[in-house]
Amino acid sequence: MPLIPRLTSLWRNLFHKDRVDQEFTEEIRAYLDMLTETKIRQGLTPREARRNALIELGGVEQVHEKVREVRMGQLMETAWRDVRLGVRALVHSPIFSVVTVLSLALGIGANTAIFSVVNGLLLRPLPYPESEQIVHVWHTPPQQSFPGLDKFSVSPANYVDWKAQSSAFEQMAVYTDWGFSLSTSNDPLSLIGAVVSSDFFSVLRTNAMQGRTFTTDEEQPGRDQVVVIGHGLWQRAFGADPNIIGQSLTINSRSFTVVGIMPAGFEFPREAELWVPLAWNDNDRKIRSMHDYLVIARLKQNVSLEQAQAEMSTISTRLEQQYPEENSGWGAVVIPLRDDLVGDIRTALLVLFCAVGFVLLIACANVANLMLARGANRQREIAVRIALGAGRARLIRQLLTESVLLGVTGGVLGLLLAVWGSRMLVQLGSLPNTGDIGIDTWALGFTLLVSFAAGIIIGIVPALQFTRTNLSDTLKEGSGRTGGSSIKQHTRKALVISEVALSLVLLIGAGLMIRSFWKLQNVDPGFDTSNALTMSVVLNFIRYPEPHQRLAFVDRAIEQIRAVPGVVSVGTTTRIPLSGGGSTQPFTIEGRPAGTIAEQPMAQTRYISPDYFPAIGIPLRQGRFFSDQDRDNSVPVIIISEAMARRFWPGENPIGKRVTPSFHPEPGPREIVGVVGDVKTSGLDVDMSAMMYLPFKQLAVPFMSFVVRTSSNPESLVQPVSKAIYSIDKEQALTDVQTMDQVLTKSLSDRRFNMTLLLAFAGVALVLAAVGVYGVMNYTVTLRRRELGIRMALGARRMDVLRLVMGQGLTLTLIGVAAGLISAYALTRLMASLLYGVTATDYLTFVSVPVVLIAVGLVASYVPARRATRVNPTIALRAE
Amino acid sequence: MARKQVDLLQGTLDLLVLKSLAPGPLHGLGVSHRIDQITKGTFKVKPGSLFPALHRMEEAGWLQSSWGESENNRRAKYYRLTAAGRRQLNTETEDWQRISLAITTALKTT
Repeated sequence: MPLIPRLTSLWRNLFHKDRVDQEFTEEIRAYLDMLTETKIRQGLTPREARRNALIELGGVEQVHEKVREVRMGQLMETAWRDVRLGVRALVHSPIFSVVTVLSLALGIGANTAIFSVVNGLLLRPLPYPESEQIVHVWHTPPQQSFPGLDKFSVSPANYVDWKAQSSAFEQMAVYTDWGFSLSTSNDPLSLIGAVVSSDFFSVLRTNAMQGRTFTTDEEQPGRDQVVVIGHGLWQRAFGADPNIIGQSLTINSRSFTVVGIMPAGFEFPREAELWVPLAWNDNDRKIRSMHDYLVIARLKQNVSLEQAQAEMSTISTRLEQQYPEENSGWGAVVIPLRDDLVGDIRTALLVLFCAVGFVLLIACANVANLMLARGANRQREIAVRIALGAGRARLIRQLLTESVLLGVTGGVLGLLLAVWGSRMLVQLGSLPNTGDIGIDTWALGFTLLVSFAAGIIIGIVPALQFTRTNLSDTLKEGSGRTGGSSIKQHTRKALVISEVALSLVLLIGAGLMIRSFWKLQNVDPGFDTSNALTMSVVLNFIRYPEPHQRLAFVDRAIEQIRAVPGVVSVGTTTRIPLSGGGSTQPFTIEGRPAGTIAEQPMAQTRYISPDYFPAIGIPLRQGRFFSDQDRDNSVPVIIISEAMARRFWPGENPIGKRVTPSFHPEPGPREIVGVVGDVKTSGLDVDMSAMMYLPFKQLAVPFMSFVVRTSSNPESLVQPVSKAIYSIDKEQALTDVQTMDQVLTKSLSDRRFNMTLLLAFAGVALVLAAVGVYGVMNYTVTLRRRELGIRMALGARRMDVLRLVMGQGLTLTLIGVAAGLISAYALTRLMASLLYGVTATDYLTFVSVPVVLIAVGLVASYVPARRATRVNPTIALRAE
Repeated sequence: MARKQVDLLQGTLDLLVLKSLAPGPLHGLGVSHRIDQITKGTFKVKPGSLFPALHRMEEAGWLQSSWGESENNRRAKYYRLTAAGRRQLNTETEDWQRISLAITTALKTT
């Protein structure tokens, strides 16, 4: 029976059993009725006729049962026979089977692992009910001030207006992530959490597992001392105490009452473990220029993203006209929550998914080649079977059963690899939502599908080839000297050429990533990353309400840390370079037109202690550093970065000029006393931006990071330095304790992850392609032994033979390389956003990678060529 | 000639079913009647063996079935030969002829 009807029949018998049964019941009823009628015509009374007919039938159920057995039996029998034959054939050639299964397992395993990540991040819905309706609403900043930035956080007043004026959203909530220190009987626990408005949980449609979330009342200052804790924290810190609700906790030295526990898995925003209400007073609500908050909203059921976007744009335009001073140039953009969370990782994942698919294709091509080579030995078996009357379709089916068996076995092994692989991916890459990545039903289905597909891909070419043999030729040829038909050789060569082409594309992709990474690593961050330790502190307003108290804390901390043996210098800043973020504010230059705030130029702002520059290793270019004499009652001073000096005072000496940071609480111009080197603030791949450094002592903000320069390995000083800070305040939690090298490494982790994976895939591809070239050349040599023997008998030198064989290998490689270059040229531009400092068609990569591949191809064909030179003419000729 | 009913060998039943369907599609009862007719009553095929045979041969791809109207307007399932079925009929006929010839010959020799 042809394949398609067979499959539909299998489908029917397995999955529509009821219908099949019912049909048979109907069939048998018709039979009975017709038999009864016949008997009536023969002269029986209706009753007698019916009775006779039933007796003749001999029990409806028995007949039905027999029919059922037959239907399934027949089907299972042929399928089972094919499987048995397949297994037998595979067991007969164990090395072939093992090699094949292993290469497929690798290929399929890698695919499943990457799929599990793609599935977890891009395909599966977020773990909130109707999560596709949830969006983030961001500001779009004025481009002249924030070139290249396409989204920006929101100010309280704008949020209040958005919420009041928009109708596209069911709910709109505002939140910001926040660090908390939870006092315990031991060292304080440093936690990530969020300050949220009461609508926050209903936007996400998630209720507390126990207790409740926040009420609107609790958005009022004074009533906001309640906290909702995460499931993980509840188990970790409170031993899953069922009576925790109603108890009071000390968080940031304030007392909070626990009102709810969130269900397991709820960790929004990223890894948050506790939530407290956002309580704005009337003044807070009027702030329009401080952009500190994120806005999350749920679209109404019948409102599209475009409609919501159109409405938000209208509202923004209106607000721009209403508050030109603060709002001109500020728009709004609505982004689906998932897109926002997944962000840049999408391109990288798709590139990797493509790459890993290529690897599997190459592996399949290799296996298909192996099967073709092996088929040479099976050709006689197949020819005999055809001669004995086996149909072509039946043979193809059997050969395909065999290759699908290989594919599925590879798939099962691959699944094991993938379980391990996906865990490694999660560890290696800093992926969002990692809880969702793993082997689930979808990944299983994907693996099954890929295994079948791989089985069919590796089997179809050989199956079609073998069954198209010229019977008499095959049978006439002696044993072992078969299969050299030119068609088959063409197929094998075509397979190898595509392998070379595919691996070239991968290698070029990997090459571009390596070049980018290499360029990045050579980028000077602008400071000295070695031997430096950093840690952050958020002082809370309850215990340190006054600036002089914060100053005192920092002074004492610096003093204590400096006393630790091994510490060279210590300074503080408000944001460590390379860690991203940091505040930015507009400024005006004395003697130049000020304009509105929206028109003013922007610069990143840091508040630092006098020793910050020596501690982190930023060089002084002009003027002086801050000193202890720059205090709150002395002349307001400022230090700027070279980039700022170049941009605003080109060809001038900026020292002595005066600028006014517009948001600084104490208005008035500040004198530029120094110019320091530029640093990379957000990442090595982001351009140096204008920076303003202000003395911490002239504005004591409550959050700071310590930078400690050490004389030896900074990791050995983590304990003593932490102790030094705890000795001043044992309730003060430290966060982000890491060496500067770790900060640097972390800032490159995404790129390293992508590069490592792509490189690994490309490496595997290269090896597979080399094996492919080797295989096909080796086989060619076997086939041409006689010819080579004759040539050598006629006086060909070994060099000639070597050149002949290697020339053939080289031709294959070159065709593959040419095809690969064209594909790479078309494909690599898709990964342009992942590159740094190189174009997607970087000529160095496009030249050097083919050279490597050609060299590998030459080596791979050298081995068989060597073998060819050792052909003994007499033996080769006699063998015929 | 004594009208004796004979038990059917498995292969024989298949051959008879294929043969009975060769002229055109029939429903189950029709097949059974046709066999009765062409063997002049030697073989009476009971539903207990007829239906399993029909379904087995359908699964094997020799027959195809479809629902149709019977002579007295009753819905009945009709079977007809497929190309594979026709080939099978030829092979089995040849086999049968060879075997019966051989056996007849064997039985004649004393």
